[in-house]
Amino acid sequence: MSMMHASQLTAKSTNAKSLTAKTFNATPPTAQLMRWVIIATLPGLAVMTFYFGIGVISNVLLAGLFALGAEALALKLRQRSLRPALSDSSALLTGVLLGASLPPASPWWLIGIGILAAVVVAKHLYGGLGQNPFNPAMVGYALLLVSFPTYMTLWSPPQSFIPENLWAQIGGTLPASMLDALSGATPLDAFKHKGEAVLAREFWATQPLPEGALSAWRNVALAWLAGGLLLIAKRIISWHIPVSMLVSMALLATLFYASSPSHFASPFFHLTTGAAIFGAFFIATDPVSAATSRRGKLFFGAGIGALVMIIRTFGGYPDAVAFVVLLMNLCVPLLDIYTVPRPTGQPKAQQQTEQVDRS
Amino acid sequence: MPAYEFPGGITLLERKDRSNQSPLRNAPLPAQVTLPLKQHTGNPAIPCVATDDAVQVGSLIAKRDGMVSANLHASISGTVTQVSDSAITIDADGLDRWQALPPLDWRTENHAVLIDRLDSCGLVGLGGAGFPSYIKAQIADHHRIDTLVVNAAECEPYITADDLALRHYPTDIMEGAQIVARLCGAQQIVVGIEDNKPDAIRALKVALSDFEQINDHPTSDQHRVNITLKVIETRYPSGGERQFIKKLLNLDVPSGGLPADIGVLCHNPGTLLAALRAVRDGKPLVERIVTLTGDAISAPGNYWVRLGTSIETLLLQAGLENQQLYHVIVGGPMMGVPLSTLDTPVMKTTNCLIAATREELPPAPAESSCIRCGACESVCPVQLLPQQLHWYARAESDDTLEKLHLFDCIECGACSFVCPSYIPLVQDYRSAKQRIRVKRIETAKADHAKHRFEFRQARLAREDAEKQARRQARRGQIRQPSDSSKASDSAALQVDLRSLRIAQTAAKAAVRKAEKTLARAAAQDPNQRHDDLETQLATAQENLKAADTRLTEARATMAQQESP
Ligand code: SF4
Ligand code: SF4
Repeated sequence: MSMMHASQLTAKSTNAKSLTAKTFNATPPTAQLMRWVIIATLPGLAVMTFYFGIGVISNVLLAGLFALGAEALALKLRQRSLRPALSDSSALLTGVLLGASLPPASPWWLIGIGILAAVVVAKHLYGGLGQNPFNPAMVGYALLLVSFPTYMTLWSPPQSFIPENLWAQIGGTLPASMLDALSGATPLDAFKHKGEAVLAREFWATQPLPEGALSAWRNVALAWLAGGLLLIAKRIISWHIPVSMLVSMALLATLFYASSPSHFASPFFHLTTGAAIFGAFFIATDPVSAATSRRGKLFFGAGIGALVMIIRTFGGYPDAVAFVVLLMNLCVPLLDIYTVPRPTGQPKAQQQTEQVDRS
Repeated sequence: MPAYEFPGGITLLERKDRSNQSPLRNAPLPAQVTLPLKQHTGNPAIPCVATDDAVQVGSLIAKRDGMVSANLHASISGTVTQVSDSAITIDADGLDRWQALPPLDWRTENHAVLIDRLDSCGLVGLGGAGFPSYIKAQIADHHRIDTLVVNAAECEPYITADDLALRHYPTDIMEGAQIVARLCGAQQIVVGIEDNKPDAIRALKVALSDFEQINDHPTSDQHRVNITLKVIETRYPSGGERQFIKKLLNLDVPSGGLPADIGVLCHNPGTLLAALRAVRDGKPLVERIVTLTGDAISAPGNYWVRLGTSIETLLLQAGLENQQLYHVIVGGPMMGVPLSTLDTPVMKTTNCLIAATREELPPAPAESSCIRCGACESVCPVQLLPQQLHWYARAESDDTLEKLHLFDCIECGACSFVCPSYIPLVQDYRSAKQRIRVKRIETAKADHAKHRFEFRQARLAREDAEKQARRQARRGQIRQPSDSSKASDSAALQVDLRSLRIAQTAAKAAVRKAEKTLARAAAQDPNQRHDDLETQLATAQENLKAADTRLTEARATMAQQESP
């Protein structure tokens, strides 16, 4: 009746002499898992703060606080006990991820609305942890993006640590007229809006981006990558989704680029800008809303990568990780059905004929 | 030989060193034993002793009922003090007098005698569910077996009973393996053992090289088999029958099938040792090796224990500290079950008792929601989707569960072990399986009634046939048939005889088929009762008896007429 648990291995490994287990292929309990993901966001957050100022930290702190509050509120309304759910850190993680996706120093009300959508609507209305079909952080992000496009595209260029209008910005008291002045295009934005007639070479020649923007984005991406690799090394996430997503992005980007280098951006550009790396390791891997089987995960990641490339290249939005993740979340039930592995000893042919229907 | 891989699997804390450091010892003779009538797969045995009967060690006290069942013998000498519906209690006289059967030489004795010996000694599989060994020994009747695998993996933590058995009796166990190999016609024996038992491996190697020398000797005889030893990596659940066969032979046992379907038979070392003792020494199954372990006892180790010994007595003798004790687990910590009361006897299938403290095997923390992390899936040795099974098991969508191959789950607990949300997945599967089984039995009830009716009919027909045969015999002595009708009569009898012979052959085939179906069902689902199949077998047997009687009767009449 399984009276042992993997968590005993970690707990006792320091003092138990009888521990002959050298390889440890188990996953730590849920709460620890969530905490590890939060820890793994630190390098990314630090580098972002370095380039984009303290507004990044204010985002994350506000979003985290709001998320805990919203979780408590939802639990209260659903008449569940607070402690176990709050201590599993899953709401905090949602907050951190949403906070990291928003433009630095977003106003508090923007963050609040996003969190409400993420925690209350996307998670608790569907039945709480483990039941939500959509990635909560991305639901919040997508809602904000369609409802408040001005605020959501306000990525400041790399700037000093504490920008001038920081408090006004966060407080939401900055007059609308000042907003534009703050804004600087992200590389993806700029490239998107270069216009059909402009060739890529000419575009870059005009120095379209603020000083250092490209390298800033690249370094941020590298920091996220470091965090992501940590997660894989700690077996918190499996490699399937990030790798398949990035590979499919790279393949498509190479294809486009090879077909017409003068119109399309290079694969390197695509991988190092926007939310590609962050999305691959931290967003798409949310276990609850991703496919479960290993093969399903590969399809899930590859689908995200391909759709991201297609929307970036042909769609109306400069980046599309949020929408695409939600879109692929929709496909998860289908993926799960068509990727049921063949159990040992089951005849091979059966898999094609007998599929599980969920009816 | 290289080892192959089965998917999934986990590495566990072994905790085997607590019980494998001391040599095998004899537990003190118990003053009283309680022998449950059901210590095996199938029907409980039927008592054949009464209160106050004197018994010796090895006296038959209950007979097997139906095909899937096993005989039961007294494990101490003394007096029967109670015979209840479920158990027989014997008080010891302290003399330990034996009543053994005559020794047999397995190299020369014919198969039927050996199989009968395994049957009468009440031998069952000592590693798992207690499947009657004599049925397994008859497998050659309907399956071609090439390989006998000896499962010495013993992959669950704590348990070291097979380890110690192999260290102390390697030659005997291998001889037992040869008996079984001869009975099932296997060409080769493959012994598989996990690499965490170096002493047992060394002992086996010595024993095997001795065998080789005997085998090289020109006088050694016709039934020589090839014996190989294969050391496999320690990974749970390598001892699961299917995983073990995959690992050793790289063969997949088909879902819903048996190892015999791919020409493999699987036995555990303890069973083979008991088989040898039954054949060579004529000793019925009255004792077994039990691992006593856990932090709550001071003298852990392996003991020869008489069946029916109370677990409480046994643990107290091994130095149980009651205030330390949190629970006692029968079997390993992964697949075993906690005991609700210590007042339980040791049975044929009791391989290990863990007297655990709370620190050592703590209660599972409260479960939280599944986060679909997929950890369970990656360790499942059968490549099922534990997380989806869990979901549908709680939703009670039984059709989907069957489509997701719930019944392929071997209940190894690897998924529960890694689940970060502490979901007791295996428990869900067990109850779902039970629910589905009950449903199946419900739907089969009408059939069962029909089969019982058929059985009654068959019995009546058989009794009729016998009655008529007796009448005929009497009449035959009194009256000679008249000459005039003799010629036509004998022609008719010729025809009659022929059709009776055909009927008898058909009835024999029906019995064999019913036996095969039952043996199969019982092996696949050892924890279930198979009443319906037993009834069908009994019906076929009645029919055969009736056909036999009619045939003999017709032959007798014929003989009378031909020699007036
Ligand atoms: S291991 Fe537990 S939490 Fe993870 S998918 Fe399986 S059942 Fe869900
Ligand atoms: S208990 Fe069943 S589902 Fe879980 S790992 Fe073992 S075989 Fe797979």
